[in-house]
Order: sequence, then structure tokens, then C-alpha cells
Amino acid sequence: MILPDSKTLVAERGNKKVYDLGDKMAKVFNAAKPVSDVFNEALNLARINETGIRSPKALEVSEVAGEGWGILTEKVPGVTLAEKMAEDPSRFYEYLEQFVDLQIEIHGFQAPLLNRQRDKYARMINGLTEINATTRYNLMERLDGMKKEFHVCHGDFNPTNVIVGEDGSLYVCDWAHATQGSPAADAAMTYLLFALEDKQQAEAYLELYCDRADVPMQIVRRWMSIVAASELARSRADQDAEFLLSWIDVVDYQ
Amino acid sequence: MAKKPVVTPAPQIVDSVESLEAKLARMREAQGIFATFSQEQVDKIFYEAAMAANKARIPLARMAVEETGRGILEDKVIKNHYAAEYIYNAYKDTKTCGVVERDEALGITKIAEPIGLVGAVIPTTNPTSTAIFKCLISLKTRNAIIISPHPAAAKCTIAAAKLVLDAAVKAGAPEEIIGWVDVPSIDLTNMVMRDVDIILATGGPGMVKAAYSSGKPALGVGAGNTPVVLDDSADIKLAVNSIIHSKTFDNGMICASEQSVTVIDTIYDEVKAEFARRGCYFVKKGAEMEALREAMFKNGALDHRIPGMPAAKIAELAGIEVPAKTKILIAEVESTDPEKEEFSHEKLSPVLAMYHAKDFQEAVDKAEHLVLAGGPGHTASLYVHPAQSDKIALFENTMKACRIVINTPSSQGGIGDLYNFGMKPSLTLGCGSWGGNSVSENVGVKHLLNVKTVAERRENMLWFRAPEKVYFKKGCTPVALDELGTIMGKKRAFIVTDQFLFKNGNTRAIEAKLDEMGIAHDCFYDVEPDPSLQCARRGAAQMALFEPDVIIAVGGGSAMDAGKIMWMMYEHPECNFEDMAMDFMDIRKRIFTFPEMGKKAYFVAVPTSSGTGSEVTPFAIITDKDTGIKWPLADYALLPNMAIVDVDNAMTAPRGLTAASGIDVMTHAIESYVSIMASDYTQGLSMKAVKLVFENLPSAYENGAKDPHAREEMHNASCMAGMAFANAFLGLNHSMAHKLGAFHHLPHGIANAIILTRVMRYNAAEAPVKMGTFSQYPYPNALHNYAELARYAGIQGKDDKEVFENFVTALEELKETIGVKKTIADYGVDEQYFLDTLDDMVEQAFNDQCTGANPRYPLMSEIKELFLDAYYGREPQSYEV
Repeated sequence: MILPDSKTLVAERGNKKVYDLGDKMAKVFNAAKPVSDVFNEALNLARINETGIRSPKALEVSEVAGEGWGILTEKVPGVTLAEKMAEDPSRFYEYLEQFVDLQIEIHGFQAPLLNRQRDKYARMINGLTEINATTRYNLMERLDGMKKEFHVCHGDFNPTNVIVGEDGSLYVCDWAHATQGSPAADAAMTYLLFALEDKQQAEAYLELYCDRADVPMQIVRRWMSIVAASELARSRADQDAEFLLSWIDVVDYQ
Repeated sequence: MAKKPVVTPAPQIVDSVESLEAKLARMREAQGIFATFSQEQVDKIFYEAAMAANKARIPLARMAVEETGRGILEDKVIKNHYAAEYIYNAYKDTKTCGVVERDEALGITKIAEPIGLVGAVIPTTNPTSTAIFKCLISLKTRNAIIISPHPAAAKCTIAAAKLVLDAAVKAGAPEEIIGWVDVPSIDLTNMVMRDVDIILATGGPGMVKAAYSSGKPALGVGAGNTPVVLDDSADIKLAVNSIIHSKTFDNGMICASEQSVTVIDTIYDEVKAEFARRGCYFVKKGAEMEALREAMFKNGALDHRIPGMPAAKIAELAGIEVPAKTKILIAEVESTDPEKEEFSHEKLSPVLAMYHAKDFQEAVDKAEHLVLAGGPGHTASLYVHPAQSDKIALFENTMKACRIVINTPSSQGGIGDLYNFGMKPSLTLGCGSWGGNSVSENVGVKHLLNVKTVAERRENMLWFRAPEKVYFKKGCTPVALDELGTIMGKKRAFIVTDQFLFKNGNTRAIEAKLDEMGIAHDCFYDVEPDPSLQCARRGAAQMALFEPDVIIAVGGGSAMDAGKIMWMMYEHPECNFEDMAMDFMDIRKRIFTFPEMGKKAYFVAVPTSSGTGSEVTPFAIITDKDTGIKWPLADYALLPNMAIVDVDNAMTAPRGLTAASGIDVMTHAIESYVSIMASDYTQGLSMKAVKLVFENLPSAYENGAKDPHAREEMHNASCMAGMAFANAFLGLNHSMAHKLGAFHHLPHGIANAIILTRVMRYNAAEAPVKMGTFSQYPYPNALHNYAELARYAGIQGKDDKEVFENFVTALEELKETIGVKKTIADYGVDEQYFLDTLDDMVEQAFNDQCTGANPRYPLMSEIKELFLDAYYGREPQSYEV
């Protein structure tokens, strides 16, 4: 892949850069990113495209001259839901409803070849060095006892990954963490992502999600220590490790 | 005998899949040897192991507290003590090896065998006591047990297991009968659960679910959320102090421990004051409560710092100042919904939620909700005055809890044998299906055994039932009736008969005798042939007005059957015919229980024809004229109390009736003789009846009243055959005849006669497609039985087969003599109509109550062939396979 000179850098985070190529988008990773991860993300996206979920089409995976590997996708013109929410806080709740409905809609899809959520969490928990073996054991025990479900879960569903298209319809991007698994876990992860920013928004989200999805709140909450551990394992540069740890270290009812 | 040298294998640490595999293989080998141990050997091992655990209760408790940092040393000592002593005491005399039960009369033996390798998952809350408990019950049942400890309590759990193992081995148990995972991980735990024969899982719902999904049978138990309802009738001091005693035990880590108390408003303040007086702290609403909530819960889950901590420590974590010796922190809250109120859930610590209730019903509603929300199937507790049985009943009926403890500290009460001595002691408490468990009781040795039931063939219990009095001999009627007056002191008699007999004066002699004795009497004389329900109702209504203390049914089968039904309606007007008429496989096991008869009236049957035997049978058939449904009723409740078999009442029967009823007697005797339920008692009667019919029917038919002796013999034969089939039942011949009667209006006796020898030949097959099912009926034996019966009647032959053929011939000759035609067609049944109704007849004949006793279990296709053969008079076919 050769990026045209007309490209604009729209985001730069950790090990990746995102370029706007006019009618396409390119996500280019640095050399530290394992190539297999790049292919996996593209594969996830392709599988999601095939389900019919509104998402940018995967076009190409190749090495970008002078940089690492990259994924070329369609560009969905529009602004993110996060931007909309920031722009007009009075309409936050209205956008949140759209956001929740979209998430529930996605959970209605199945993609049997997508990675398994449970495997992903188990891998992340086992790889955590910040917590001791006992806590890992407790988390694994909890994970083991969770209901086995196989719904499409975005895994990083937050308003920055939802694009409001020019026709008003919503598109979802960034499927790097997509798995098939339990919708409640996906909701727990979204709650966590909100909570890291704004506790009130997080509560509003959880209430709305549980209401719309008709899921008891405890079911979502049972996942929170697990998703907090997986978030901790991502080792994002700006993460609040203390906050995440306080969520992780809980005991199961006896 | 030289002892095999014991080679102690070098201790191998189990910390990997390979080492666990090797361990499990060695343990299986050990268990194979252990499985051969006698009860005596096992009991010795059980004793020594329990002793050793008991001795070590303090060091083990200390290890548990040190390693987990939770709970109270002294309480853990009690738990260890309990796990050793109470479990030993509960099971020391229990038979767990080999034959554990034997009932010679029933032929039942129960043999207990070990399950094999038990996998045990042990939690951090009660590590050493649970380990002792599980090891002991495994040893008692000759199982091996592999323990997967929780990493936070691995050292003490393993120490407890090792101690029990060492003592067991010293007492003779195979090495490695108890094992453990040294370095626990979820993968190894899952492998244990996958590779053992049964899982004993104690722990959180995650572990229990994993156990159930392992594919192996699991005894998993679940989380508790014990609510207390404190009624205003309760002894408040006892209640509050019991709760404190229980809730503070091991700092609240027992799963049956109280989590909330719901108090009726009228005593709320008094209860609160008692809690406060005994050292409990009421958390102030507002900032204090929120701080405690914040410290204890994270996203609806309990913070890891909380379980097993003393109240003061928990308060400190929340930044609340309380006296150092505070026993319990009490949070007064409103909602029982864990989504809205974290305090409503299990807290595993000396923290208690407290609720108001305006009355008992509201308190029960709250408790019900708390159990379902947090501890379905576990335990619920009620404090109430013991005399308040309605409240106790409401509580026990409402709670979805497998342990309901009354006026009892629930931690100690739930595990059994401390505050109630009928409840088995256990440290693994089943929560039933409400908790997603396979057991709802306290887990014990019986759950670790495979019990084989050895069932030897036994014969069915049989009885012989007949009226308490059967009067016979010509002229016995006045003598029998005299007894009603002079001995029994009856005052009001009700006669049931038909118009013909009434008008013909057949009841006159009876009425005269009643008048003579001063017995008032009334008569219902409107019984029609095939008596109807409507007619029986009219008779019963008349009876109800007259209020007789004796009923006398005079007539043939119709009058006697109608009399029985009226009797039933008179005694039990509430009874439902549909229930009474329900088919049964065994009259002694039928679903419907007939009510007791005879409370209002004594029932006397006086037959005027020699055929049905109804005077001594428990049967009655009645037809609902509105729907056309025939209700065949059969129960010994319908058995008359007295039968008067006096030929003087049967002298004038016309020829046609004599023939039809006479051959009916023959069929009763023959069918009951070969019935699978026939016995020596009934067969004696059948034999005599067959002989009497052969000898007397031709003359009775030919000469009627001119040969009173033949008449009398036939009258007796009818009654004897009646007694035989009242107890041995009939067979396919009657099933088919019933349908020829119902569909084509053939007289009952004639219908029986046409098919009699055909059905006999069919039954006599030595290799039938299917035989009847009855324990006493060992193999197809009808041919021999027919021949035996025939020989008694004087029929000869060189073997059973020839005797049978001669029997058939003799019967055909008898039929000829008394004018029975050969085929169904001969009786004017239209061919097309016969064929049109054939399938219905076949199915109904198959389903007839009489079919069940037939020695050959008929296929519908076979019944159809029999019908067709009898219609056209075809040569009989071979009915052998």
C-alpha cells in the first residue's frame, strides 16, 4: 500500500496512525504491532462486514512503505457520536438511546467464526502480572461460571467508535476487539469505558442498557471484575490502574 | 500369609497436567483396592481418621486463620471439631459396604458400592473443616478423594487432608486414597472435575456452575442469603441473641448465616434496643451508610477485604468510628432488590441488613424476595411463638429454601445436629433446583454411594373375596331372610327387581317373610334389561326417601347390577361414575379408591337366573342412556354382603334363557380357569362348575322345572363360577363377547358361546406372539390348563393336545344340544354392517377390562381374525408363531 500525499493524519495513538485518504481510511501500525494482530483486526472487520452490521468495508491489508502494516477501509463520511454528544450536552440522553439501541442491535447478530470472548478474557487474565495468582484464580473461577453465549460483541463499544453517517444512520468502526460472547460482558465493558470518564454517564448508560435489553443489572455487574481485568491487561498508557484494581478484587458469594 | 512389601512412592508434587494425570491413575488403583474392604475395615479407618482430625482441630484452625487472614480461631476450632466428631457420630453405624438392606419377603437386596474417585472443590471460607468433612465421608464410602483447594487456603486445606490420609493409611487404608492438587489453578481444577467420577463442589456459584458443566455428576451447592423474619410473637431476647450468636460465628463466613432481619413494626424499637444493648452498631443513615457501602461493595460484588473480618475492622475500612468490640454492623435499609440495595445481598461478614414490615405477611414477602434474589434454595429463618402454627405454615410454604429453621441461629442450625437432632450434620448444604443443585438436603454418605437394587422374582399377593354369607340349597330363602330380622335386627328393607318378576309374583314370598318379621319394605320394580344410570338414579332417590337398612336385589344380572349401583349411590351420593369406571391393570393398585360400603345398608343378592354370578361378584355394568356410554364398574366394595342361591327363585326361567345363561356359566368357569390370575382357590371352583354344567345343562335346558335337581346344580354352578371369576377375572372371550353385544345386540351368553372354542384354541397356542404379564404366569401354559380342566370333567385323551381337542368337541356338542348356532352370521348380523364396525369392535375388545387377565396378550390383528373366523364360521387357523 502506498499512501497518497493528499492523506491527512486524523489520529495518532500509541502504536497506530489513522489517515484520511479522501474516500478511504488507512490505519497504519508501527513495527511493534504484531502482523498477526493486524490481520486479525482486518479479519474481524471482514467477518462483521459479512454479517450485515453497518461498518466500513475492509479493502486491503498490506505493508506500508516506510511504516508498519496497515489496514485500508472504506471511509464513512460523518461525525462520531462522541463528538455529537460533546457538541450538544442537552441531547446526551437522546444520543445515548441511539447508542444503546445500536449496541443491542449488534448483539442480535451472530458470527460463528469470530474469536471467542471467553478465550480472550482468559488469555488477558492469565497474562496479568499486576494481580496475584489468587485473584487471577478467583477471576478465572468467575469467568468459568458465566453463561456461555455467542453473540457479536464489539468489545470496545463507546461513542467514539460510532459514526453518524450523512444520512443519519449509524456505523460502527474499530472492530479490533470484536468477539462472539455474552452481551452482558460487552455492556460491562462499555460501562467501564464510560465510568473511566464520567461516573454519571456510566450509570445512565447501564440503566438504559439493562432496561432496553431487559437484562437484570446484576448480570452485567457480575462481568465487571472480568472486564476491568481485561482492560488492565491492555496496559493503555493513560489507564487508571488503581481504579481498575478496585473493581477486580471482589469475592464470589458463597 | 506373607505380606506384600509396601513400597512408599516418593512424594510427587501435583502442579501440572502430567503430574495430576499420574496422581489420578495411582489414586484409581488405590480405590480399586479400597473397594474390596469390608465394613469392619472401613469403620476402623473412619474411626481413626475422625480421631486424628479431631485431635488436630486447634492447629488446623490456626493454620486456616493465618493463611486466609479471615475468621475467628476459636470458631474454626468448633467447625473442625464438628466436622470430625459430629460426622463420625452421625455415620458410625451406617452400613456403606456391600449388602446394606435385605427384605426376604419382598425379595429386595440393596448393595452399596463406592462411586470411585471423588473430586472435591473446597472454598476459603471453611477450608479445613470442609476438607475433613469431605475426606471422612469419602473414606466411609470406600471412595478415593482428590481435593482441589483454593489457592488462598491451599496450605491449610492440604494439611487437613494429609492428616486424615496419614491416619487412614495407618489404620489400613491404601496409600494415596486421599490426594490433592499442590499448586492449584483453574485448569487443574477443571481437569479434576473432568476426570473424576463425581464432584463435591462447595464454593461460589462460578465453581458450582463449572462443576455442573464438567459433564460429570456433581453435588454442587450454592450461595445463601438467609433472611430472618422476626415476628411480634417471638421471644425477642432469644431471637436477637441467637442472631448475634450466629452472625458473629467465624465472623459471618458460614453460608447459612443470617444476612438480613425483617422486624414487625410493633416490636421494631424493642428489637433495635436489644441489638444495641448486646453490642451491635446501627450504621447512621446518610454519609456513614454510604461510606460503608462504598467500602464493602464494588459493582454489586463484595470487596475482597470484607469476608471474615470483624465488624470494627470493616467499620474502619469505611472510616466509621465504632467501639472496638462491636459485634455486628446493622444497616437499616428499605429495598430487598440487590440492584438497588447492596446490603440486601450476602455479606460473608458481621454486617446485617434490617428491614421494617408492617405485618407478618409483608415480612414474609420480603424474606421470600431476599431468598430468591440472593440465595435461592438455601436457608430461611423465622422467630415466632411456637404456638403460632398459621404463621409457621405460611412461612414454610412460602420460602423457596431447603432449610427452614425456626427459633434457631441459622449458621449452627443449617449445618444440622446442633439445635435440632433430626437434621443430618453436614458442611455441604444442597439448595435444590431453586439453587441449580442436584440435592436439596444436607450432603452425606448416601450421596457418595451407588446403591444396587437386586430384585428377585416374587409372586403377586392374591386374595380370595366372597360375600360373608352365601346361602344355598333349595328352599334356603326364608332361612336366610330370617337372619336379617332375628340376628341382624334389620328394620327397613328395600327390594330392587324388574317388572316381569314383580308382576309374576317372584318377590311375593320374600315380602311375606319380611311382613312376618315386621320389617317395613318398599320396592323398586322398574329395572330394565341393560340397566341405565337414569333408572339407578330413580331407584337411589326412592331409596334415599325410604332409608332402608337392608337392600334386597332380586333378579338376573340386570336387577343385581342395578341394585349394586343404587346401593353405591345411596351410600355415597357424592361419587363420580367416571372415576369409578376407570380401567385398571391390577384391581389392587387402581388409582381410584372406592368408598366404604355398608354404613347405611346391608346388601343381599337373590339370583333368579343361573348365569351371571353377580350375587358373588364385585362387578356391575350400567349404561348412561343420554350418552350411550357403558360404565363397567369393578371393585370389591360392590361385593354383596349376602347371596341367597336358592333354586326356588330360579325354577321358571324359559329355555332360551337357560341355554344362554348356562353357556355363560361354562365360559366363566373356563376363562377364569386359564386366567393369568387364576389360583388353586379359584380353579377348584371353576373345575366343579364346568363338570356341573356338562352334566346338568342339557337336562335343565330340555326339562326345565321338571328336573329341579339339574336346575339346582346349574344354580350352584353359576354361583361357583361367579366366585371363581370374581377373583381370577375372565379373558379375551368376554372382551370380544361384550362388543358383539354392544355392537350387534347378541345375547351375552350366546356371544360367549359362538367364539368360545375359537378363543380357547387361540389361547392354547404353545408359542403365542405375546403372553400375559403377571408374576405367577411363568410361561405359555393355557393348553395344559385347559386339558387339566377337561380331565376333571371326565374328558380323556393320550396327551394334553388330544384332551384339548376332545374338550373342544364336547363343548361344540353341548352348544349343539342347547341350540347355539355356529356363526355370528347365523344370528342375522348383516355382513356389511359387521365389517363396517369391525375395527371399532377390535379396538374396544382389545381395550376391554377383561383382556388383561387373558393368558395370551392379544394383538388387535389377531382379534380381528378371530372375529372374522367366527362370523363366517371358518375353519380355525393355527395360532402358533
